Amino acid sequence: MKTREVICSLTSMACIIPVAAFSAGSDLHIFDWSGYEDPGFFGAYVEKRDSAPTYSYFGSQEEAFTKLQSGFEADLAHPCTDAVRKWVAADLLVPIDTSKLANWDNLLPQIKDVDGISIDGTTWMVPFEWGNTGLVYRTDMIEEDEISLQVLADPKYRGQISIPDSASSAYALASLATGNSADYTNLSDEQFKQASDFLRSIHANVRFYWSDAGQLDQAIASGEVLMGWAWNQSELNLIWNGTPAVMMRDVSKGIATWVCGYVHLKTADVSEEQIYDMLNALTDAKSGKYIIENWGYPHSNSDAFTQADPELLATYGFDDPDSFFEGSLFFDAVNPELEAKMLQEFERIKAGF
Amino acid sequence: MFRLRSETSRGMALSAPATLYVGFLVAAPLGILVAYSFWTQNYVSIDRTPTLSNYGFALNDPLVRHLLLKSIWIAGLCTIATVVLAYPIAYFIAMRARRKTLWLLLITIPFWTSYLLRVFSWKLILGFKGLMNSALISLGAIDQPLAFLLYNEFAVVLTLAHAWAPFAILPIYVSLQKMDRSLLEAATDLGCTGFQRFRRITLPLTFPGVIAACLIIFIPTVGDYVTPALVGGSEGKMISNLIQVQFGAANNWPLGATLSLIAMASVGLVATGFLFLANLARGTIR
Repeated sequence: MKTREVICSLTSMACIIPVAAFSAGSDLHIFDWSGYEDPGFFGAYVEKRDSAPTYSYFGSQEEAFTKLQSGFEADLAHPCTDAVRKWVAADLLVPIDTSKLANWDNLLPQIKDVDGISIDGTTWMVPFEWGNTGLVYRTDMIEEDEISLQVLADPKYRGQISIPDSASSAYALASLATGNSADYTNLSDEQFKQASDFLRSIHANVRFYWSDAGQLDQAIASGEVLMGWAWNQSELNLIWNGTPAVMMRDVSKGIATWVCGYVHLKTADVSEEQIYDMLNALTDAKSGKYIIENWGYPHSNSDAFTQADPELLATYGFDDPDSFFEGSLFFDAVNPELEAKMLQEFERIKAGF
Repeated sequence: MFRLRSETSRGMALSAPATLYVGFLVAAPLGILVAYSFWTQNYVSIDRTPTLSNYGFALNDPLVRHLLLKSIWIAGLCTIATVVLAYPIAYFIAMRARRKTLWLLLITIPFWTSYLLRVFSWKLILGFKGLMNSALISLGAIDQPLAFLLYNEFAVVLTLAHAWAPFAILPIYVSLQKMDRSLLEAATDLGCTGFQRFRRITLPLTFPGVIAACLIIFIPTVGDYVTPALVGGSEGKMISNLIQVQFGAANNWPLGATLSLIAMASVGLVATGFLFLANLARGTIR
């Protein structure tokens, strides 16, 4: 028994040692969504520092926020613009010095302007990738001229739609469907009621409120669900899977845009130079070309669009990014009081109240 | 006197690790939870002025009541299903099976994989293009996949009943195992039929095992979070899903703590009521 214990502890130590032995460059610690450790995103950093950063993962922004607030330490983190106000209020972030960003001037101006990248003149986030949240539907089961956000409430589709298990995303959908998208971050009581009523009216049609995109992709691919309020990642997965499905990209019918990027955490313990090396590598046009072509996500650097394969850009629907910026709902930070109301009401709606 | 004292101190020393362990990992977190339930969340900070407002809110909220009752209902159904299905299995192993150890081992096999994987495998079985629907379609029994198999209360009860089956089988098995068999012989000698024997001897004597099984299953399933989240769909949500939202998206830990304590108190109340009724029933069953 004793011997076995000794062996066990020795083997576990042997496993820990290589992890603990940092090489130059890998002491940069990034708190990210899983998948973003893809070396194609930061080639320039590896070239300069010889090794990739170290990654820890979160599954949702709320989880990341809870973890950081309870003392988790990292150098950079990767939230989306709608979370930044809260993170700043909780005193988690260090402002970004744009003069140290080599690619700042090449970033898409509309993306740089999104609320949350800068708040009251201070820049808090370096935008990295963006995309759409929209209505993905089966083209073989629903006609293109029939599709609209209002169709979600059609009793014909009982048990055949899915929307995210996330209050902010659901209310973005509802604000678009009720024509209140311009006031999404600051809905009046009347508008809030209209949006809630819309969500109530589609509740009976909801098969499930999706919490991971894979669940939705599979349901659309199998025909269990015919349309879903989804990220462009779902559309891509379905395209790659050969499923006849697309995202409704008609701005006048309602589509939302999200922007995510990197923030500099207060707990950072590596040199500022190293942080900015990484930020510069991430915003490099080469990284942008890579993420567009291999992941199907649009990048923040405008040069990436001229370098990327135009055919792929057209397939993924980003050959004319400017067309989204006007009329698309941006996921900005909702005012905290309204956000709390949305969360509370959404729980009620999901329970059938 | 000296001996007694040393015995006491020895006893203290022996129980100290367990006491410290329980103190740190159960009592302390519970204390923190109670403290949180009297505080208030202000956007990103916590106001530590004690207040009962969380309790007032939670107790007056029809949603909380609805989800709490539904959780108790689902856990109750699951307990009944599990125990009713487990009894014959335990009976078979204790009374009929020759290789008891092998049977017991077989029963624990589902536990060799993670709970999450078992939930996912039910999704594969019950899914729209899952095992069950594909089988029924290929047999010609149906031509459209059945949608009611997944994403409802039924799926939650089924998944939980499968996951918790061994916890019901084992206590019932133990109580059957330690039953005095000569009583059964005596009953036969006195002219009891098989059913009478079961009704008047086996069932009363194994009653404690059944009660234990019920409690072991009911208490944890009321608070189950992952099963309703994965197979519950839009109508199978339970109280723990609401609690999770408070600690996650809503970032309202005080309200989450209050809801947890209310759920705990309700479970305690239902379990005590159940024990009381079970004791009454035990008196009449003889």
